[in-house]
Amino acid sequence: MHALCVAAALLLGGCTAPVHHTPVSLSPSATAAAPVVLTHAVTVTFDSGYTRPLNAGSRWTHVGTVAQGAVYRPVGDVFTVEGAHIHEAWLVLDKDQLVGFYLPAERGFSPLRTPLSLHLQNQG
Amino acid sequence: MKSILNLGAIALLAALTGCAASGPKFAEQQAITPKLSADQGRVYFYRVNSMVGAAVQPDIRLDGAVVGESKPGGYFYTDTSAGSHQAGTSTEATNNLSFVLDKGETKYVRTSVSMGLMVGHVKPELVGQEEALKEIAELSYIGKAAK
Repeated sequence: MHALCVAAALLLGGCTAPVHHTPVSLSPSATAAAPVVLTHAVTVTFDSGYTRPLNAGSRWTHVGTVAQGAVYRPVGDVFTVEGAHIHEAWLVLDKDQLVGFYLPAERGFSPLRTPLSLHLQNQG
Repeated sequence: MKSILNLGAIALLAALTGCAASGPKFAEQQAITPKLSADQGRVYFYRVNSMVGAAVQPDIRLDGAVVGESKPGGYFYTDTSAGSHQAGTSTEATNNLSFVLDKGETKYVRTSVSMGLMVGHVKPELVGQEEALKEIAELSYIGKAAK
């Protein structure tokens, strides 16, 4: 019962863990790339427990690279990660694995605990 | 007894109505909204009309400065420099949203009430343009009068 009360207090009190990120340098793409399309929907679960869908058909454009991989920004939409606060986020892919997120406002990298396989296809 | 209930219902209705935003609707206001200057970005803040937590109406801060209020059924916008920004609201807890804004870009931030211990929390979240424009269409402008 006590544990339940503590859990409820944490939940209602907004004591969710922050989104951890480390500073990273984004090397922008030299040329504007054509958007790629996500062929299969996936749901991303963050360490905080929050989830976000990545919809099939969503379009992403390669904007550069960070040490952890290639960075893709959503086209015509927004994507965020959520912990104690919400952060705009772009995908970071190592080959076809989603390994984390680039937080443009913080210029930081937030890793995904378990990489997710993503299927991105060139448009057209 | 019946008249007491009626009075209570009227009082409740009056209280809830007083919580909701009033002002010109989006389409009407857009006609007189100044064009965004090329060197700035625009951020729309809005909150859909709901009776849930309607009395909780905290200030909305952008980079620490109050730019408006989170009011059910209301929207406003603010023009600001390109770059990194942080929007936030505070009740018993502070909820922040960080995002970037490009020159000439428009972004949309929806605030919504979630459960708190004593007072509801008001969370700002980034919303895609398509979804935001559908929701804002029904809302009332609560920002400064256009010059």
